[in-house]
Amino acid sequence: MTGIPPMAYLPEGFVLASTLLVFLADALGAQRRRVFGGISTLLLLGAFLLVLADLRVYPLAALATLPASLVGGPASGPIVFTSLGLIFQGLFLGVALLVALGSLSEGELDPGAAIFYGLLGLATLGMLLVAISADLIFLLLSIEVSTLSTYVLVGYVRRDSRGLEASMKFYIIGALSTAISFFGASLLYGAYGTTSLAAFAFPPAGGLGNLALVGFGLLMVGLGFKLTLVPFHMWAVDVYDGASPPVSALLSAGSKKMGLFAFFAVFIAVVHVFNATEGYALLVALGGLAVVTMTVGNLQALQQHNMKRLLAYSSISQAGYLLLGIAVATPAALSGATLLAVAHVLMKGGAFLVVGAATAAGVGVTIEEYRGLGRRLPVTALSFAILLLSLAGIPLTLGFVGKFYVFGAAVEAGGWFIFLAVAGLLNSALSVFYYGRILRIMYMADAPGEGPEPTREAPPTLGISSTRGVANAPPPRGGVLRAEIRTIGVARWGVILGCAVLTIAFGIYPTPLIHAFNAAAEQFLRLGY
Amino acid sequence: MSIPLVDLLGLSGGLFALGIFGIITRRNFILLLISVEIVMNAAILNFLAFAYYPPAPGLGGVTGQSVAVVLVGLAATEVAVGLAIVLALNRLRGTINVAEAIQLKL
Repeated sequence: MTGIPPMAYLPEGFVLASTLLVFLADALGAQRRRVFGGISTLLLLGAFLLVLADLRVYPLAALATLPASLVGGPASGPIVFTSLGLIFQGLFLGVALLVALGSLSEGELDPGAAIFYGLLGLATLGMLLVAISADLIFLLLSIEVSTLSTYVLVGYVRRDSRGLEASMKFYIIGALSTAISFFGASLLYGAYGTTSLAAFAFPPAGGLGNLALVGFGLLMVGLGFKLTLVPFHMWAVDVYDGASPPVSALLSAGSKKMGLFAFFAVFIAVVHVFNATEGYALLVALGGLAVVTMTVGNLQALQQHNMKRLLAYSSISQAGYLLLGIAVATPAALSGATLLAVAHVLMKGGAFLVVGAATAAGVGVTIEEYRGLGRRLPVTALSFAILLLSLAGIPLTLGFVGKFYVFGAAVEAGGWFIFLAVAGLLNSALSVFYYGRILRIMYMADAPGEGPEPTREAPPTLGISSTRGVANAPPPRGGVLRAEIRTIGVARWGVILGCAVLTIAFGIYPTPLIHAFNAAAEQFLRLGY
Repeated sequence: MSIPLVDLLGLSGGLFALGIFGIITRRNFILLLISVEIVMNAAILNFLAFAYYPPAPGLGGVTGQSVAVVLVGLAATEVAVGLAIVLALNRLRGTINVAEAIQLKL
């Protein structure tokens, strides 16, 4: 534990402070969403900038030498700072920031605002701790900090029985996966005599026995629930559907990346041991899970009529592409998966916020109701289109670059990984169908009953909208753009646009990201952890 | 004098199977909670057993015992959140039967 200065924990401290201050403000009688949202956003932004500064001040090469004293086997502490961990911390804070900003435009006097922003901080704190953990128990407990907060976030809206049902399902599956993970961890403890992740990179005394194999298998199941891999994905669709759109964005963009990093930390190093020993079966299981996950996710998404459920299934198929990077487990694959994770944060976070914006504009839940959105909310719809194209993997978007690097790494690794790459490519082609259908409905079809009046404002109807001051705004005087911003709120509008712009910008010029991720991935693998 | 490792592992394996069976078959939320707790307790028992019988001399020991204590706390935290969800569900729907609470579908 020597060598880590206390200042290194400043981002975590900021995030914890955001939770405490929001609850303190609530206790002192604050009521407006702007107060809670302001506290939360400012502190999350501070933490985000600190992590970015960390990444810049300690260049990746310097960081590579830092943990040598920390990853010295069982005696080292539960915490290690790696470049990849810091990159993921930045990612988690980016998601939190996106969600915090994007939900500033929800109802101003919503009594749940304090709960939302407080628990958002706590969920983010858990994710940050996952990214710096060097001990299996610490990792699982950090996941738990985050998950326990999200159970409540899904169902905190008191009178919303759909949200509560989603929360109930999420809780049952989440608690089960936690218990299975810990049972697997206990078997690994029995096989290795330690819970340090660094120790897992070497086979235990007497070879990789059945105890360790079953332990890793159970851990794969338990963490697979978090990453929504296919046999364990059923909860995700209901939960994303039942939760409010910002919370869905947090779950899909944030919690899933947390599961991804946990997979990185537990399995990446072990994969080499697997390759050399009888653990080969588990490696095939990882690759098989990846292919099954992307295929089932895509096939199910094809049949959806509900926008949120479609996005949920597409999110599941994306988990398959991410897992592909872990199964291949070369530095290039790891860096590709990280790139894809960044893309996924922007795409899925933005897409769920678009759903929230559409709801605020009076659009219903089915895809058909997005008819003519391109005319009513032009910028939002254009951003949504860009995000969907990126999800489908069309060139010049970050989604394409990420997939390109993951599949390229799989082909480079040769052997049966080439089949994985082919399966991924076929799946990408398949996904174009359902993303294309949304685009066609948004742009090609006329809005219902709107034919010739292109600038009509969203109808201020729907019982729920009456509490959201924005939806009841007076008829617009300015252009379509001003009407759009007034309808969905300026913060949410900006965040959605920002996601789309970043997707394109990094899609055209991904070089800095790729350089940083390559260095980080190589360091991560060299650590043997 | 002391219980052999195989017996302890057999017990925890049995508890694990029992818990998973309960989660699959039970439809009452409270019983589901209890089933999850049984699986959790199987993990705790394993940690204690392996702390007593380390795979190699000098390993294990205090780690397993302290993890067991932490897990007891974690299990209690989880149940607290779970019971809060049950209460809210019962107030809103008048049932704690999971099968009756299904609204979210296609």
